[in-house]
Amino acid sequence: MQTSLVEVKGLTKKYKKFTLGPLDFKVERGIVIGLVGANGSGKSTLFRLLMNLLKEDDGQIQMFGRTHSNHVWKQKVGYAGELLEAYEFLSINELKRLISRWYPTWDEEMYEKLVKRYKLDVSEKFSKCSKGTKKKVEFIFSLCHHPELLLLDEPTAGVDLASQRKVKEDLLMFMDDGEKSIVLATHTVDEINQLCDEIMVLDQGRVVHTYNKDEIYDHWARVWVSDITPPIKQHPNVIHYDTAPPQIVTDDLWVLERALDKEQIDVQQVQRLALEEVLEYLIDSRKRGDGSAVS
Amino acid sequence: MKIPIHVSEESREPIYHQVETQIKTLIASGQLPPGTPLPSIRALAGDVGCSVITTRRVYQNLESAGFIKTIQGKGTFVREMESVRMEETKQKVIYEAFEKAIEQGKQLGCTAEELGAIFQETVEKFYKNGG
Repeated sequence: MQTSLVEVKGLTKKYKKFTLGPLDFKVERGIVIGLVGANGSGKSTLFRLLMNLLKEDDGQIQMFGRTHSNHVWKQKVGYAGELLEAYEFLSINELKRLISRWYPTWDEEMYEKLVKRYKLDVSEKFSKCSKGTKKKVEFIFSLCHHPELLLLDEPTAGVDLASQRKVKEDLLMFMDDGEKSIVLATHTVDEINQLCDEIMVLDQGRVVHTYNKDEIYDHWARVWVSDITPPIKQHPNVIHYDTAPPQIVTDDLWVLERALDKEQIDVQQVQRLALEEVLEYLIDSRKRGDGSAVS
Repeated sequence: MKIPIHVSEESREPIYHQVETQIKTLIASGQLPPGTPLPSIRALAGDVGCSVITTRRVYQNLESAGFIKTIQGKGTFVREMESVRMEETKQKVIYEAFEKAIEQGKQLGCTAEELGAIFQETVEKFYKNGG
């Protein structure tokens, strides 16, 4: 059994004002990758390329160890993005009839259960559904054929709090046997905290960071110090600093400590950064690596 | 099945070590008696907020140290432990906690006498009202 469900090499898509890639990454079995990035950073374009809804200009995508052109993989993938708009004149149930026919593995019982769980009125026309309801419908459709890989483009955007929690529960359940994988684009820190193993940061079409989430905890910190000298201000692992009281945000605590020691600067206190704060530094490129912008 | 695990913002210990120690403590203190089912590595990762890479490592370490056992298709459970091993584990956890506190005191410039006095005072505070 192959260990990576998706393998992307040199993937590139060019538009007039925007280029995605070249991207290189793998989605390992049993792993949830959180795809984060500002609006317009290329997350949805990446999903459409993976789903073969867009044609890449360069590079290659392998799904389940096979080339993209062999469409067998589509049966094993669940995708929740904006795919249903073209059929929005149909009701939820009519959409279900249409979609379930594509999948021999469609689980009607599961569909009924999820529809109830998310309190959907299946006779409602898709075009009349609220934004959150549309998201729920897409999410349910992505699950009911028992895929091995879920590609979820902001599945809880506009979704009510109780349903957000249910989505998280359902995804944890989906992952429980350790054989499946998810790529999850999200702006919700809770989802990254509770679901994701790796974090991939997209910025203007490029992957700027890929982290094992626990590396963030182990390496990033806010350090209160006795002084901040010019070499420290320039140090590559100093992400941000502030002078009152002197403090540094670093993406590599161990390296920074050695540098501080060399400058004979005392460390007064060290605190781990909340993931939320780290993500802000990672996503906002103006914040990243530019301590000089701070007073 | 949630178990009370908390990852500290102040601690310098890596996450896997914190989680491992806390589960050992829960087992040694009897809060998780033998036979208790533990959450799956995915569920535990969700609760702690870490990756499954970390929780898998924790369970592997705990399993090879004899604290837990995984039964294929059924899940992970707390193992029966000999009382001697249990006592050893308790001692070890307590020693580690004291060592950490003393290290911190030393960093802040406390003398051995001062630390001893603080220790005495703290013990009295906790045990005065019947523990």
